[in-house]
Formats: sequence, C-alpha cells, structure tokens
Amino acid sequence: MSILEQLKKYKWMIPIIANADRDVKRIVLKNFRLKKKNFYPQGEYKADVKNLINCMLCLKMCRFDCNSLQGAKTESMAPAYKSLIGYYLSVGKIDPSKEENKDFINLMYECCNCENCKIWCPFDFSVVSLLETVRDDINDKGLTPSYIKEQIEKLNKTHTIEDTNIFKTYEEKGIENIESDGNDDVFYYIGCEMMKFPEVVKANIEILKKAGIKFSTNLDKRWCCGAPLFNTRHLDLAKEYAKQNIDLITSSGAKLVVTDCPGCADTLLNRYEKIGVKLKVKVIHILQLFKQLIEENKLILKTQIPEEFKNVVYHDPCLMSRNLNVISEPREVLKKIPGLNLLEPICNEKYTHCCGYSGTLHWANNDLAEKISQNRVNELIETGANIIVTACPLCELGLEKGIEDNNKKKIKIIDLTELIAKVI
Amino acid sequence: MALEKFGLIFKDNRCEIKDKEKILSKLKVILGEKNVSTREIDLIAYSKDSTLITLNWRIQGQLAALPDLITWPENNDQISKILKLANEEKIPIIPYGEGSGVVGGAIPIYGGIIIDMKKFNKILEINDKDLTVTVQAGMNGMNLERYLNAKGYTCGHIPQSIYMSSVGGWIAHRAAGQFSTKYGKIEDIVLGLEIILPQGEIIKLKTIIRAATGPQFDKLFIGGEGTLGIVTKATLKIWPYPEKRELISYAFPTIEDSLEAIRNILRNQIYPAVIRIYDTSETSRHFPQIKEAKDKVMAVFVCEGNERLVNLEGIITREKCEDNKGANCGEEPVEHWFETRFRVTETSFGPPYKIVFDTIEVSVMWEHAAELYHLVLDSVKKVKGNLHITAHASHFYPNGVGFYFTFSGVATGGKSDFEFYQECWDAVIDACVKAGGSIAHHHGIGINRARWMEKEWGKALRSLIDIKNLLDPNNILNPGKTYFPPEKGGAK
Ligand SMILES: Cc1cc2nc3c(=O)[nH]c(=O)nc-3n(C[C@H](O)[C@H](O)[C@H](O)COP(=O)(O)OP(=O)(O)OC[C@H]3O[C@@H](n4cnc5c(N)ncnc54)[C@H](O)[C@@H]3O)c2cc1C
Ligand code: SF4
Ligand code: SF4
Repeated sequence: MSILEQLKKYKWMIPIIANADRDVKRIVLKNFRLKKKNFYPQGEYKADVKNLINCMLCLKMCRFDCNSLQGAKTESMAPAYKSLIGYYLSVGKIDPSKEENKDFINLMYECCNCENCKIWCPFDFSVVSLLETVRDDINDKGLTPSYIKEQIEKLNKTHTIEDTNIFKTYEEKGIENIESDGNDDVFYYIGCEMMKFPEVVKANIEILKKAGIKFSTNLDKRWCCGAPLFNTRHLDLAKEYAKQNIDLITSSGAKLVVTDCPGCADTLLNRYEKIGVKLKVKVIHILQLFKQLIEENKLILKTQIPEEFKNVVYHDPCLMSRNLNVISEPREVLKKIPGLNLLEPICNEKYTHCCGYSGTLHWANNDLAEKISQNRVNELIETGANIIVTACPLCELGLEKGIEDNNKKKIKIIDLTELIAKVI
Repeated sequence: MALEKFGLIFKDNRCEIKDKEKILSKLKVILGEKNVSTREIDLIAYSKDSTLITLNWRIQGQLAALPDLITWPENNDQISKILKLANEEKIPIIPYGEGSGVVGGAIPIYGGIIIDMKKFNKILEINDKDLTVTVQAGMNGMNLERYLNAKGYTCGHIPQSIYMSSVGGWIAHRAAGQFSTKYGKIEDIVLGLEIILPQGEIIKLKTIIRAATGPQFDKLFIGGEGTLGIVTKATLKIWPYPEKRELISYAFPTIEDSLEAIRNILRNQIYPAVIRIYDTSETSRHFPQIKEAKDKVMAVFVCEGNERLVNLEGIITREKCEDNKGANCGEEPVEHWFETRFRVTETSFGPPYKIVFDTIEVSVMWEHAAELYHLVLDSVKKVKGNLHITAHASHFYPNGVGFYFTFSGVATGGKSDFEFYQECWDAVIDACVKAGGSIAHHHGIGINRARWMEKEWGKALRSLIDIKNLLDPNNILNPGKTYFPPEKGGAK
C-alpha cells in the first residue's frame, strides 16, 4: 500500500483525535511521539521494523495460501508469526546470538520465495522480502547459519551452485558449447540448475538452431546469476556476479538474452537493478521466444504428440507467472501442439503454488520443502494428467521430489521444450 | 530460554504438570515424534489467537498465555488417546483451529496441551444430489470454498475471516458469514457431525435433513466452543454457484429509516444474500467518495441466485428502500465493499501508539434494535479514554438484527490497557443487556464474555453447566472459558 493510500485510509482518525478530550489527546500525542522509543530497536539496524510490525499485527489474510504454512500445518510457520519473530529478534526480545535461539534464526530462512502472501496481503507485503531485511542484520552480526555459509563457500569456489563448476560439465553431458564471436543476435543464458537437465539444454539449442538464430552460450566463461546471494543477502558479492554476467552478455553483442530458468530471468531483469547494476539488453524466458517463432512460422509444430504425452498439466513456476508475468505464452505454445490435451490445476496462473525448492527453505528445512512439493504434486495429479510440464529447472527438481514421495500414482515431469522437440 | 524475557498475562491457576518428560514421551507414542512439540518457537506460536487486545500485548513483548505441549493429531484415534491421557493426568486440552477467534477461545490460559486440528484438512465427499460436502474439521475455510467454487458450488458461508478460520472453529463459535441473510449462520448449514467427547469417546451425529428423533443433540456442539467435544468432521450444505448477482445500495437519513426498510424487505420474505448498513460515522469512513451518502446511513445489498428470483428480489428491495427515504447510490458502494471486504489493515495501526481497538457484535429483536444501537453508543462514549465508537449491522433476520460495534481508545489515569479494554466491554454489554439484546451474535463467549453468561442465560446456565460436568467431569476440555470467567473456572 502506498503512503498516500495509507494516509487516505486513516484520515478518519484525524478528527477523532482532534476532538478527543484534553487528557486523552495528550496521551495519544505522547504515544505518537514515543512510538520509536517504545517499540523500535536501539542502535544501527537494517530490518524493516515498521513493516514487520504491520505484518505481525495483521489479521493474516494471506495464510490460507502460504505454501510453507500449508505444508507444515503449524502456527509457527504462519507468515505473520515469521514477522513477529523477525521483530523480536530485531529488538532483542529474543537474543539472536544465543545458541538456544537457533530455531528462531532458522525461521527467518524457512520461506520459499513463492510470495503467495503478496497476492492477498492488504499491505502488498511479500513476507520473504521482510525477512530478508532481518537476514541482513543476522549477517552483520556474524550469525549466518552454517547451511547458508556452505552455499556461499560453494559459490566462491566454483561460481556455480555445485561443488564443481557445473557449466564445465557440458562435454561429458554432450552439450555443445557455442562460443561468441562478439556479433550474436541472442545470448542463450543457461541456468546452473538447468545444467542438471542436459536433454532440455540440448533441445533448446536444437530449436534455436532450427529457427536460424545466431546465438552463443559461452559455457566456459559462465557464472551463476547470483540468485542465492540475493536470497541470503550477500549483496556485495551479488554485485560482482552481476558485473561478470553483464560483461559477458555485453561482450557477445547480443540484443536479446533468452534463459531457460525463470529465476535467472528475474535476477537479470529485476534484482540486478535493485543493487544498482543494470543490464541494458532485453531478457526473456526462452518460451517467449519460441511462441514468437511459432507465430512467425519459423518453428513449426507438425507431428502428432505421442500418446503417453497427451494429457498434460502445466505447472506455472511462481517467478514466471508472478514476477515475469509469463502466463499465456506457455499455454499458447501447448495448445498448438497437435493432439495435446492441456489440463489446469485448481491453483494456476498467478495463483500458482510453489514446488517448495525456491529461496532458502530447502536448505533450512528440506522436509518442509518436500511436503510443499507433495502438496503441489497432489494438486497437479487431481487434474487426471499423466505428465506435468513446466518451464523451470528448480520446479522440475522440486516436483520430482514430491513425485518420489507420492505413492498414489506415478506421474512424469518434463520441460515444455522437450515436448516441443517431440513435435518439430 | 527465550521465554524468560516475556511477560505473561494469564499466569494464575496454571495446571501443574509434574513430569512433563513423561507426558511428552507418552504423547510421542500416541502421535509419533514429529506431531508433538515443546520447542519454545512452537509454544510462543500457540500462546495467542486473534483477540485484538493480544496485539497490544504482542508488541509490548507480553504473551497472553503459554501452553505446555503442542500436538498435531492426524486421526480420531490419536485425539481420543490424548483426551484419555489428559483425563488421567488432569491436564487442560485446548482445541486449536486457525486461531482467528477474537474472544480468546483458543488461548491456553492455564497451560496444558494444544490439539491443533490443521492436519484434519481433507475434503472427503461432495454429494451433488444431496447438495452436501463432508469435510474434516481442521479444513481452512477459503481452501474449502475455493475447491467448491472450482467444482461449481459455494458453501455460502463467507465470514470476513474465511481466509484464516477453520470449519471446526466456525462450528465451535457458531460463526456467521457475510452472506448469512440468504444462506444462514453455520448452525443452519451443518447437517452432520463427528465429535470426540472429552473422555475420548468418538460419536457420530448422522447427516439428517430434519428429524424428530428426540432433542437436537448436535446443537449442543454447535457453539460448544471446544468445551464439550472436539469436532473432527462435518457435513455442510452447499449450493450451485449463483447464476446471477445484483448489487444495490441506498443511503438513508437515519439508522431508524434503514432498519425499517430492511425489516420490511424481510417481512416480505425477500432474502438478499448480503445486507449491510453502516451508521453515519462508518459511512463517512468507508464511503467518502459517495456524495449522496454524506452524513447518511449507507445500506448495501447483494441479491444472488436464480436469475428470475434475483430480479424480483431486486425490485422489492428497491421499493422498500425508496418507501423509507432511501436515496439510490447505485452499484459503486457495493463494488467497493467487494473489493475491500478482506483488506483489513486497521489492527496494525493502533498498538504501536498504545491505542486499544476492538469490535463487539450483539443481536437484538426488531422491537429494540434502534434503542440498543443508541444505548451502546452513549454508554461507550462515557468511558474515559474512549476515542471512537461506531457501528454497522451485517446480519439480518425477519425477526431481528445483529449489530457490530467498533471502538478505540487509550488507557488513562494509570490504568492498564486491559483494564481500559474491560471497561469498554462492560459499557457495550451492559447497554446491550439493558436493551434486551443477546451478548454475542457470532464471535462467541470465550474468555472475555464469560463473566456475563449468568446475565445472558439466567438460571438455565446451571443446566448447561450440569451438562458440561457430565460430559467432562475432570474439566479438562478448554477450561476457564464460556461458562465461568477465567478466575472462576480454574484448572484442576
Ligand atoms: C478479521 C477477522 C474477521 C472475522 N470475521 C468473522 C465473521 O465474519 N464471522 C464470524 O463468525 N467470525 C468472524 N471472526 C471470528 C473468527 O474468525 C471465528 O470465530 C472463527 O469461527 C474461528 O475459527 P478458527 O478456526 O480460527 O478457530 P480458533 O480461533 O482456532 O478457535 C476458536 C474456538 O474454537 C475451538 N475449536 C477450534 N477448532 C475446534 C474443533 N475442531 N472442535 C472443537 N472446538 C474447536 C477453540 O478451542 C476455540 O475455543 C473474525 C475474526 C477476525 C480476526
Ligand atoms: S503478509 Fe500481509 S496479509 Fe500476510 S500476515 Fe503479513 S501483513 Fe498480513
Ligand atoms: S513468501 Fe511464500 S512461504 Fe514465505 S510467507 Fe510468503 S507465502 Fe509463505
């Protein structure tokens, strides 16, 4: 809610206070003056205390749709409770430096980046964004949890999210690396996580080639986009990653970046700008390009889809539908696949549910991430589909865990690109 | 211990659990390791519900109360065993739904074991011919309604708290939805129940449409406030999703005119699903953009259902409003209500300024409706420290109306927030009783209203307490609520 809207909303209070009797007015005005002294932390801090307070005192209209609460089924995972604990840690009511209070620190990381809360919040809050400001103070106090430190160490060592540089595994995975000659039209920005799905990367490269696009991938020089650094609030380091990526993309001469990961797209597009480094080239998800190529008849979906891939349900990745607003494009592509029957789950498009594996949650509480994934898999299975199709490597990894743990029915999950590759 | 730094509001008469480790290990046997907790992070999470004064305590670092153990059962057998254990050990049990209650019903004032019902969250059956849904009691309201809508139905029970309340909580507090004039309160919607009695016996009150099979036993549990049994399953009425909606609004010169218009609409057997009136203060607060409503009483109506019926309801609703000095304000105020009805931010505003804020809903027959409204307003304005008192009415019946008062203020003269809060409550409830009203329309009794139960029930309260004692001889199920105020209903 903007400040103007807030002022409008509380305007009715002004005459009430003005007309109150003298004693009462005096007390109210004193309380207004002393708000910070009474309820804000002393000294330096980064936490967004004002909005943590707003959230912790709110009547929690978002809770029914919060993925971590609905997965955990405990009040301690409720969005407003996370803000309450964030507030208590900030004002020192709960001492963050004490080992016995570790649970409370962990809670600050037990959010997937789904932001379902934001859809319903009357203040338009995303709780994970509020918690990130608490994470800043945790880092500044040297209290970063060990599982976060491990991730940072990996990134420092390999510049990817794995122990070894996952981009450099292209040869063993049979992925062609396309070096830039500095004169490309498109840069195909492959996500670290997507390197775990070589068949998707290969299919994307094949389709781009078939459509006659001049592009490069520069896998030898690639770094992770830095999303984990944003989530864990290592913003100085994130800046280095941003610069590295921007230099690499710029040096390719490309006028367009296409990526196979909504997380990378969101980071390149939105998060870099928030730390003051802007990528001047347009960034889109690769499906947006494919949709355009199909419309221009440069990519023709001609073969009938094989029977076992006929009944598909599309899972909207949170970041794709909510942050990038890419909702219709994958559906339009799916509808053009000959013989395909597209099914929709109960919560879809911008109301989609999380796969559980976004953000820091799966590091802080892997069991909960799995539970969230199972919940989503159940919703997807309810449609009667036998294939889940998505457009995000993290969703694919996450939902696969949910499928493994789901003993009801086996369902397969694939990337939309793989379906396209079957019909061109 | 993080807990040591927190003050405790309800700290008297706490139950004594001599060997907590023993209880914990017994509960682990019943429920499995993952469904029991004594972690501080969980204890603090279950120290509260949504009672508004607790928000002031929360920012001040005070916990309303503190449970000893939290449990998340997954089946009836587990609940039954927890209850048996609690009876043996004389430990209070507090059923917990979604914690949206505003009368402290789920607050563990004497400590004890919380039974959180959230894992009872399955929709078991939709029966299209019977128009029923059978659902487990921990099911979140909105997740139920959203599922029903996707299948082409509605439950018609849409409390403002639908996003954060459970079926079991609705039943426990006899809740009312915004569309109650057409679909009824929850007591009109429940057709069948499964309940676990305080001593662990599981009973099923079968789904019936109407019967003459002795007293209506199920009604004892609808409004039972988690003191007579734990609801585990319910069969509720559903309806095909309405085919048409008509939005109507009128501004009236006085509260009396608006009440007269509505009384006449209902007298003609016309049931708009939603009827809401806002007194002049609330009209200027919620509808400042509607010029025709300046200094007036706004009334909004939603008629919904079969198209021909809705058309007729629309015609008669308009006619009765115009007969009673109503000025047509069109659809905009109703659209505005639809857009903002779940966007509550007010509760976050007051506590940082130590402003106490609350709402109280009461009901009254038509004869004394306007009188009750004026009496309450006059009475609260006299409380020292009061900043504002306003009202709307959002539940109407052919025979009467439910009013909903909102007040705010600050404690003066060295009083605590809680003392000031209690004074405001006294002012509202005393005026309500004086005007012949009933002290709660849909939020329930819980902790706060228990001290007026004798006034409300008279001698009949004795019989009610006899029933409670019969079903729960050890007084383990949600003690200190509903029948006696906390100081009198202590733990054993
Ligand atoms: C912003 C806001 C708006 C609201 N709007 C409305 C409204 O429009 N209409 C309305 O009626 N109420 C409203 N309420 C009040 C509240 O939502 C209702 O009282 C609701 O029914 C409580 O449900 P819950 O699941 O949150 O119950 P809780 O708060 O968890 O518990 C309430 C009581 O029910 C008992 N209980 C819970 N589950 C069970 C069970 N399975 N078996 C037995 N006992 C159980 C508890 O012990 C407790 O005594 C509102 C509250 C808020 C905060
Ligand atoms: S995110 Fe918004 S709706 Fe959810 S608890 Fe916080 S303030 Fe309330
Ligand atoms: S970001 Fe997701 S998990 Fe976190 S509070 Fe919001 S809805 Fe819940």
